Amino acid sequence: MVGKVGLDGHEVGARVVAKALADAGMEVIYTGLRQTPEMIVRTAIEEGVDLIGISILSGAHMTLLPEIIRLLGDYKANDIHFIVGGIIPAEDIPVIKQIGVREVFLPETPTSVIVDFVKNLIK
Amino acid sequence: MWDKEKIKELQKAKENWEKKCLGLALDDRSEQRERFLTDIGLAIERIYTPIDLQQINFEYEDLGFPGQYPFTRGITPLMHRNEPWIIACYSGFGEPQICNERYKKLIEWGVDKIVMAVDLPTQVGYDSDHIMAKGEVGRVGVAIDTLRDMEILFDDIPLNKLKRVGMLAFSFGPIALSLFIALGEKQGLKPSDFVVELQNDILEDFVARGTYIFPIRPSVRVATDVVGYCASNAPHWYPLCLQANHLNASGTGSTKATAFAIADGVCYINHLLEKGYKIDEIAPLISMFLDERSDFFIAICNFRAARRVWAKIMKEKMKAQDPKSLALKIAAHSHGGETLLEPINNIVRITLATLAYVLGGVQVLSNASYDEPLGTPTEDAAKIAVRTQQILAYELGITNTIDPLGGSYFIERLTTQIEKQIYEEFLRVEAMGGAIAAIEKGYYLSAMTEGANRRQREFEKGERVSIGVNKYRTESKIPFGAFRIDPAIEQKQIERLNRVKKERNGKTVRETLEFVREVARGDRNLIPPILEAVRAYATMGEICDVLREVFGEYQAKEKYFGG
Repeated sequence: MVGKVGLDGHEVGARVVAKALADAGMEVIYTGLRQTPEMIVRTAIEEGVDLIGISILSGAHMTLLPEIIRLLGDYKANDIHFIVGGIIPAEDIPVIKQIGVREVFLPETPTSVIVDFVKNLIK
Repeated sequence: MWDKEKIKELQKAKENWEKKCLGLALDDRSEQRERFLTDIGLAIERIYTPIDLQQINFEYEDLGFPGQYPFTRGITPLMHRNEPWIIACYSGFGEPQICNERYKKLIEWGVDKIVMAVDLPTQVGYDSDHIMAKGEVGRVGVAIDTLRDMEILFDDIPLNKLKRVGMLAFSFGPIALSLFIALGEKQGLKPSDFVVELQNDILEDFVARGTYIFPIRPSVRVATDVVGYCASNAPHWYPLCLQANHLNASGTGSTKATAFAIADGVCYINHLLEKGYKIDEIAPLISMFLDERSDFFIAICNFRAARRVWAKIMKEKMKAQDPKSLALKIAAHSHGGETLLEPINNIVRITLATLAYVLGGVQVLSNASYDEPLGTPTEDAAKIAVRTQQILAYELGITNTIDPLGGSYFIERLTTQIEKQIYEEFLRVEAMGGAIAAIEKGYYLSAMTEGANRRQREFEKGERVSIGVNKYRTESKIPFGAFRIDPAIEQKQIERLNRVKKERNGKTVRETLEFVREVARGDRNLIPPILEAVRAYATMGEICDVLREVFGEYQAKEKYFGG
């Protein structure tokens, strides 16, 4: 599942990654814009996804990503892998990875890198 | 213009050159690419000569003189020889008082126009205490909940101290306009004392920016009410700036983006004509925000072609007569494929992008700061951006003549090719039923995603070069941004909001909001009631909630891939 959390409306990157994953043979759901952390987690559980990929460019990641992690815990869905892409300051990346995000992909990352990472993760 | 006999001779000479000189060179060397394809699908030729210009009429129809139809070479007869373009800065972050300090610096450095960057909750009509605002307050722009925030933001900055003021308002145009009018009143100014410019192009938000609030048709009403109000009350303001840049940035390519922006313009204009306004009352208030980030020369020719296409469409299709309706005012923001790695290199990229827009004949120009990929621009980086514009304006003789590249075989040929692309794309959108139909049918979106995917492929194959990233890469460590927004400002902003709500006259607010509701339900202009509400310190969220009640909210459709 590729999702956009919060108010950030730039979805080109999310769509490009979603397409790359789908082209690689995976079943992909794209949530569209303006999802709350609650909506993200509930959709992920309802659809039985293996992985959540969040795209966020608004700078609100330090509020919204921990919230998603917390909800995944509350719903006992921590086995769903969680990756993030977008505009994340370099100094925040270690912090995000510490709370449970498996990897952060910044702009200029080839989609093949993301696809390979996801394939290995879901194996 | 070109003697037929001389052209035949030239043709022969070219063939001779190709056989002898070029042929010899190609025997033991090759060109870097088989075709020099650009982002807009045009191939750039090895050399351009008068042979390529046979169709172009230099004297009148196609080129003409600056300040005369079709304005290819510029929209005024003086252009930058009179004064440079409006040097603008797009800026805003955090709480109003912090931002006020940056604005004062910008003015000190010589900026002519400040475009307020506002945060995402403001952009989508939520107050800073809304549940969806959590974590977002003051991040991508300054938080504006009420008129009070504007008063703090422009404390000691009279609105007429700048040549123009603007706000990044797409979906809340009436509120933005009202905030400026009401702020002016607090400063003892009438609308005639200062100049406001708004984006207010909501149509492209349904495809590229995603900061819509209401469904499409009510949104068009909201945006056009702003234009109608200004036509009657502040015709020297610029309440609509058609946005091609977000469309291009999202993937459409610059010529399609320009075409879509023109189609959006025609849509808004038709809406206003139906309401009884005359074309020459409306078109002079409209400007266009153009963009091309991957080719220096296409950036220039996109401007020249856009002016010609706009002039022709306004004259022939919209029956405009006033030269101010036909002459397209162009705004731009210089971006040049900025990178996270080795960000100082971005100064070079942004400088060249700025130069291209200057050579193209821009009217209002802001430019990115080199550290923008890293976060909110630092003061030093913002200053370099301003100085870049000033250096181009005053050093090196760049602005000594109008349209310096005019007459170049390459530039004229490219301009004509781009003009053809823009116009054909515009006709395609019109054939679908216009901008709204094209958006609803998913046409804009498919152009965007096709282009985005293509660009990604080109980048990964190394065809789209990014120095330091996919060519000559030596670094892998992304530098830290130096500027952090203090998360504590969210709470401070909410406290200020609560104070304003306590201090204002609740009864007046309720009455003004009721008036907004009443007008929204009918078809009178929304600005007068919203202006009353803004004066009474109604909040952004309160006003938008009334409009949401009446218009509903836009529901984007989810998209499923694969599986």
